[in-house]
Amino acid sequence: MSAPAQRPIRVLVVEDDPHLAAGVLENLRAEGYEVAQVGDGRAALEWLRAGSCALIVLDVMLPELDGLAVCRTLRDEGNNTPVLFLTARGDPADRVRGLEAGGDDYLAKPFHLKEFLLRVRAILKRWDWYRSASSTAATAVLRFGGNEVDFRTFRARAWNGEAQELTEKEAMILKVLAEHAGEIVSREDLLERVWGYDVFPSTRTVDNFILRIRKRFEHDPANPRHFLTVWGVGYRFLAEGEP
Amino acid sequence: MKATRVFELTALALVAVSAVQVGWWVFDQHAYTIEKAQAAQSLYAGQARAARALLAAGVSEARVRELLPDLEISGGEAGLAPAAERALVSEIRRRYRQYVWEGSFFLLALATCIAVIARALRAEARVLEEQDDFLALVSHQFKTPLASLQLSLETMALRPLAPEQSRTLIERMLSDLSRMEMMVTQILESVRLERGRVDLRSEPVELAGAVARVAAALEARARAQRIALTSDVAPGLYILADPLALDVIVRNVLENALAAVAPVGGGSVAVSARVSNGEVELAVRDTGVGFRSADGARLFEKFSRLHPGGGSDQYGTGLGLYIVKRLMQLAAGRVTAESAGVGQGACFVLTWPATAAPPA
Repeated sequence: MSAPAQRPIRVLVVEDDPHLAAGVLENLRAEGYEVAQVGDGRAALEWLRAGSCALIVLDVMLPELDGLAVCRTLRDEGNNTPVLFLTARGDPADRVRGLEAGGDDYLAKPFHLKEFLLRVRAILKRWDWYRSASSTAATAVLRFGGNEVDFRTFRARAWNGEAQELTEKEAMILKVLAEHAGEIVSREDLLERVWGYDVFPSTRTVDNFILRIRKRFEHDPANPRHFLTVWGVGYRFLAEGEP
Repeated sequence: MKATRVFELTALALVAVSAVQVGWWVFDQHAYTIEKAQAAQSLYAGQARAARALLAAGVSEARVRELLPDLEISGGEAGLAPAAERALVSEIRRRYRQYVWEGSFFLLALATCIAVIARALRAEARVLEEQDDFLALVSHQFKTPLASLQLSLETMALRPLAPEQSRTLIERMLSDLSRMEMMVTQILESVRLERGRVDLRSEPVELAGAVARVAAALEARARAQRIALTSDVAPGLYILADPLALDVIVRNVLENALAAVAPVGGGSVAVSARVSNGEVELAVRDTGVGFRSADGARLFEKFSRLHPGGGSDQYGTGLGLYIVKRLMQLAAGRVTAESAGVGQGACFVLTWPATAAPPA
């Protein structure tokens, strides 16, 4: 595996088990990442309030404050740093809880090293794409039907003047759809671009996110004019609205 | 659902139905008595009317009295004799009393049955829930060292490592394995203690000897972690305990103290003993990470690790202090823990009833 970039990418590992933390740190370091480690939830929040990183590898069962609470607090504070959860509990309900708390991906212990490194890279790649696709004045803001979405701040103003705070996933879905405005984007493509590979077992998740986006931005979510369903395939975004 | 549970629920339902039936019986008997009393009254009223008719027809009072002995006849009038009226009223009262006593006795007995069965059902549900929690915790506890083992092995498989790095990984894996082995031992131990399946002896044991044995076994580890392990237990102090259980108790408390001192880079663990009010107190004082005073009770719960590792190489399983507490309870002793706060060290005090030295 090659080094991911010239300038080292910093990853924060929040893990209370010294052996596991050491193993994760050594491997991330060997992959060319710059690493930092803290052993409990409170320390993680303190570290993140003072510094920044490109990715947080976050254990769920932590002393002081658990990983889910750490992630929720970060999101509430407007920190959108991607989070990869590591946890001893890997059943689907726990997975969903982790993703609902604002996590980007979820890996159950014990995990495969290669898979871990792959997921780290996939998350960073998705965020790289998202950031570079929102870097110019033209691409940072999306305007349609009286709505305005700022991809850099994850904030939006809906047609009715309501302020909206977007989750990272909602923003990424909007970004993918906006990049392909007028074209059909399949559910699988959306899953692949926004979540990576097998995080979710079904494409139903994408549908749920589209419903949420419609609720935020459509005049009549039941009869959408901008986020159209293409039956059996996926979705199509129309900035002008369906005539 | 288990067959025993179905049986218990059926019994509960049967008892509840019986209670309703007893209630109905009381109500029914009450109604029946009222009916009978009314019938008797109307019978007497009929007799009085007949007596009056006979008197009007010229039959002598003496003859009417003879024909209708329950009536009182005087001056052409007929009514129920006071004695007969008293008998009727007392019969009604007797019956009411019977229903009240018998009914309440049966209802009380049935209510007791319902309470006993319901309590047993709740206790069973709680045990099942605790078992589930225990299993979930146990599997969680194993997954972390397993993940660490897998990570170390896959690291070795993924890329060539310098001999130094390989050695580090091998030591880490060996430590993970011994951690899991210790967990298995302690889990079995705690399950046995939980089920009460231990036969502890109760005999006079000399405390100083037991402490010295355990301290000697931990001496090398303490020295490696720059911890001064000192013991000041006067010889000749005897407590009533099981010698093997005492070893486990002292070892767990001392290991806990070492694990608390290791993360702060060294310090001291001091053991001392004293007699007070017919009890022997063994105090283990450390200069380690300490704990919030609010967490004092939680320390002895299963799988509560307040400072798991924290950079040290010593791992707790979260069961050591739980085992200490259970063993102390079984030995009619107790254990308490105090700390002035995080970073302030801690003091664990074990208390047993004192006893005389065994006859030589």
